[in-house]
Amino acid sequence: MPEPVIGEEIRKMESEYEPLLPVEKKLIWYTFATGVGLCVLLVLLSHLFK
Amino acid sequence: MATPVEPPVPQRRPPPTVVHLSEDWLSVWIGMLVFVLSLGLLAGLDTLGWAVTTSVWTSPAKALAPASKNYAHLPGLVSLLLTYLAMLVVLMAGAKAIGASVKRFAQGFTVIFAVSYACWFLGSWAYIAATPDKRAALHLPWSLNLTNESGFIIALVVGLVIGNFMPGLAAWLKEAVRPELYIKTAIVVLGGFLGIMVLDQRRLASAMIFQGLCAIVCAYLIFWPIVYFVARRYFGFSREWAAPLASGISICGVSAAIATGAAIRARPVVPVMVSSLVVIFAVVELLILPFGAQHFLSGSPMVAGAWMGLAVKTDGAAVASGAIAESLIRAKAAANGINFQPGWILGAATTVKVFIDIMIGVWAFVLAWVWTTKIEQRADQKVSAKQIWQRFPKFVLGYVVTFLGVMVLGTLVPSLLPKVKTAMGQANIFRAIFFVLTFFTIGVLSNFRKLWQEGIAKLAAVYVLCLFGYIIWVGLLISWLFFSGMLPPTVKG
Repeated sequence: MPEPVIGEEIRKMESEYEPLLPVEKKLIWYTFATGVGLCVLLVLLSHLFK
Repeated sequence: MATPVEPPVPQRRPPPTVVHLSEDWLSVWIGMLVFVLSLGLLAGLDTLGWAVTTSVWTSPAKALAPASKNYAHLPGLVSLLLTYLAMLVVLMAGAKAIGASVKRFAQGFTVIFAVSYACWFLGSWAYIAATPDKRAALHLPWSLNLTNESGFIIALVVGLVIGNFMPGLAAWLKEAVRPELYIKTAIVVLGGFLGIMVLDQRRLASAMIFQGLCAIVCAYLIFWPIVYFVARRYFGFSREWAAPLASGISICGVSAAIATGAAIRARPVVPVMVSSLVVIFAVVELLILPFGAQHFLSGSPMVAGAWMGLAVKTDGAAVASGAIAESLIRAKAAANGINFQPGWILGAATTVKVFIDIMIGVWAFVLAWVWTTKIEQRADQKVSAKQIWQRFPKFVLGYVVTFLGVMVLGTLVPSLLPKVKTAMGQANIFRAIFFVLTFFTIGVLSNFRKLWQEGIAKLAAVYVLCLFGYIIWVGLLISWLFFSGMLPPTVKG
């Protein structure tokens, strides 16, 4: 496989910026909120059953 | 003029496609071979007793010995030679199965084994390895107190020197520089060893497994979205780059970057580029974090182990960091008169890492679904069960089989437990050798000159910012939340 030229890739990305789609924002915040919520719940559960 | 009729061209059959075994599956087979051979003891066959052990030494002539008393007549060097030859034969067969050049593999492996074992041997020198409780017996006025696992650090440093200053030698060794194969094989063997620990300390081990699973679920969901957001919003990376980058930085390095790249159908160059960066930073973490853990977390050893599994990327570097953290923390505890049982800190790191690897498949599936149905809206392209299976890390199966195998044997036939313990002790010799091979080859593979490549700075900036500004600290917090108050058992006597 040819070694990718990262410099060219970065230049291409800078010229063709892809804005965050609403679905991406949802993915980000729903995932994060689920993670924090689960963390609190599992910590409570694990301390409860220690 | 009539066109001359050309004779029909006989249709050539396409050459038969040779399907090679993957490195992942190979690690399962080699690990299982070691495991099964070690269990020969249950049938009265001491099949691995000739394998070499290296004790903490003051006189080099007395350092090497066979593992079993049945082979006590063998000189240490003969035992070492037998161990090398056995590994060479098995790995050469493995090299053939994965389609590597057997000759070049054998040449490279010979050098790698020799250098790695020399590092392990040096790391077992009493002045480096002896812990304070052993100094009197060895008649030593002082020692560095690093345990014999300092051999791992020496192997890593020697590997780094070769990888960065001797590119010719590094290229010559390339065919046998396979840290992922070595560490995955070691993890399969480690499953049996951890099974023994669970049988000895059921309550603590079950808690460790449960907390490890909880920690991973949280870490996945908390790490990934923030890294993805930072890469997209503040560094302007495209979706194709941001998703593998987020997985590489936040989850499990190389495997996660590749699985995510496949899930979102990124060009193959993207995960390859991300992976090369992951390997470099994993080595940086490996060199720093275990020492930080020893300094700040020696009172919470299991937190330290879980932290290594959560924060250090790539299987090899994470489990390696767990091994170093364990040796450093046990040494510090021994200086204070506490002898923690070996294996628990490493066990926490490995448990967390194994769960991470299992979760990669699940997360790749979620991303593939989101990308195909929501972002690129190709509802017709469904992720098949076959694809999920292809993305599943197979060495995890080997780990589960050896772990459960020992658990079942020890539970159903408790009278066999002493023999199973001895068998796992012998298998563990090969686990340690595969570990030291991993450390050395990680070093050889880490080419820091890649950091000077044009354009890499932006990629590295996301990595540094997210890893050192977020992942490490949130990983520490999560490890603390789930593992604080949990201590490894102590060795009596």
